[in-house]
Amino acid sequence: MLEIKNLHARISEGREILKGVDLTVKPGEVHAIMGPNGSGKSTLAGVLSGKPGYEVTEGQVLFQGRDLLAMAADERARDGVFLAFQYPVEIPGVNNMYFLRAALNAVRKQRGESDMDAGQFLKAVRAKLKLLEIGEDLLQRGVNVGFSGGEKKRNEIFQMAMLEPKLAILDETDSGLDIDALQMVSRGINALRGPKRAIVMITHYQRLLNYVVPDRVHVLSGGRIAKSGGKELALELEQTGYGAYGDAA
Amino acid sequence: MSALAEIQPYVEAFKARPNAAEPAWLKQRRESAMQRFAELGFPTRKQEAWRFTDLQPLQRAAFPPPSSVSRVAAADVAPWLYGAAAHRIVLVDGVFAPELSAIGALPKGVWLAATAETLRTRPELLDAVLRETDALGAQPFIALNAALFADGFVLALEPSVVLGGTVEIVHLGRAAKRSSQLRNLIALAAGSRATLIETYVGEGDYWTNAVGVIAVGAGAALRHVRLQNESATAIHLGHQRVELDRDARYENFTLSLGGRLARTDIHLKFDGEGAACGLFGATLLRGEQEGTIATVVDHAAPRCVTREYYKSVAADRAHGVFLGTIGVRPHAQKTDANQLSKNLLLGARAAIDAKPELEILADDVKCSHGATVGDLDETALFYLESRGIPAAEARRMLVEAFAAEVIERIEDDAAMRAHLGHHVARWLAGGVA
Repeated sequence: MLEIKNLHARISEGREILKGVDLTVKPGEVHAIMGPNGSGKSTLAGVLSGKPGYEVTEGQVLFQGRDLLAMAADERARDGVFLAFQYPVEIPGVNNMYFLRAALNAVRKQRGESDMDAGQFLKAVRAKLKLLEIGEDLLQRGVNVGFSGGEKKRNEIFQMAMLEPKLAILDETDSGLDIDALQMVSRGINALRGPKRAIVMITHYQRLLNYVVPDRVHVLSGGRIAKSGGKELALELEQTGYGAYGDAA
Repeated sequence: MSALAEIQPYVEAFKARPNAAEPAWLKQRRESAMQRFAELGFPTRKQEAWRFTDLQPLQRAAFPPPSSVSRVAAADVAPWLYGAAAHRIVLVDGVFAPELSAIGALPKGVWLAATAETLRTRPELLDAVLRETDALGAQPFIALNAALFADGFVLALEPSVVLGGTVEIVHLGRAAKRSSQLRNLIALAAGSRATLIETYVGEGDYWTNAVGVIAVGAGAALRHVRLQNESATAIHLGHQRVELDRDARYENFTLSLGGRLARTDIHLKFDGEGAACGLFGATLLRGEQEGTIATVVDHAAPRCVTREYYKSVAADRAHGVFLGTIGVRPHAQKTDANQLSKNLLLGARAAIDAKPELEILADDVKCSHGATVGDLDETALFYLESRGIPAAEARRMLVEAFAAEVIERIEDDAAMRAHLGHHVARWLAGGVA
């Protein structure tokens, strides 16, 4: 599904942050990428999703065998890559429902499916809203406008559930969530687990992994994968901290 | 063209006017207005109010009033009509077109008719208003309009009359290298209420020179929407002169989409205590369009409120201008005024000049103003793209949202908001680079 080979990247005109990341994610797998602050977690999410402001200086990323880095951000999304934002963006004036429908139809078109009619769309929306306990009124607002921190994160997972990506990258989706919201978000992620889908969770804390149990855990440190293991590696990190990986905090 | 050559075609057009059966005072008034225009000539960029406006398209050719009226089929007007209108007047090349209009049954105490018709049948409605606007000072285009106007519309409400349905006025320009000199009057007597939308549309390179004189009486309320959707090669100058009496409410929303050169002026004066105005609008410019919004609000009475919010978008090589002055006279205490101009630049060669200005001579007031010029929000753009929305569509959505945010200021009228939103979407369908 996803093959990252010797990936080097920097912030445009800035210092190098990723210094040779290697990672392979197969369909059906859930991977957790953990690491101290400044280890390059968000840069990795940004580079994979095509966020402007990063420059790949070396290496390769293949998504389903295609050169992911050669694709524009919208193209990646239509091809099945989804990024759940660490800081979801507020867009006043763009209605949530309208936005979601435009996104869904763009993705469906790529998959060779027809546009959903209003009835089908609403039915699908209601089912997923329930899963994440999001009030329907939130969808009548501008995208993320007036949402609490937890609502924004739930909205990310809701969008993911609607768009049904092949590869989901969750960037610190657990940060800033109380325990109830964390459970809802986890439920949403677990509902999406499946043999044809891969999920990459980027997180600082082990907490989320109690609810969404990963197949593989990787420690990102100094711009490289410093260690990989099974779910027990996360528990180990919880005990020892990132001290061994160069984080003074 | 030299200054003299510029005005000559208009002087000649004035001399050649048919000897209409008009009251003596009006004839006199036209004479002196023409003289005034001849003295003033076209504004130059040395004049502060015209500093940013390039009048070249108007100066390169002459636009006398038309000698005949274009034939227009109902189907030509249909795409521009407001579905929810209750009463409609259509003017073609500045002249009332009864076959295209549908004034309908008017409640008692409401006068809605063409200006020429009003002059014939109810001249007293126009007398005071036309005399008064003589004293407009250095406004050459108003003087020219006063001299040459043939028609326009008049909406007059008697005290306490509430006109429930929306009045629609459509101005259609069709005659190449000709001008529509429109004189419009809205007079709301004490306690009356009305909603009106004026739409300016057309085809070809004509000039619309519209002057609206608006008086809102004590406790009366007017919502005045202007949809400026002139042809891409037309010139539009629309000047509103508004006077508000005690506790009056006036709301003006201008959506400006068309025209090679378009300028909207609003000159509003608070004449009585406790009145309020809302001046809102969105201007979308592309290609080589030149668009100006110029407002002057004169707080000449205490306890009045001004809410002013204009947005503009300039793509390609377009140029937008916002000039906003709020003046507070020494005795206009407890004035509450704020003004905001937000602008979006979509191209490296597009430009926007925003010049907000406060002149406060009273000491117990609450006044603020602000202006911003920026690009599309990159993070919002990426967010939309990251969900699969194509880049061009994402840009379009953000520009639409930018305009929608100010259209939202039209409260309690979903049909009107939808109508304006529809025209914004139409404009955007042309693409934003």
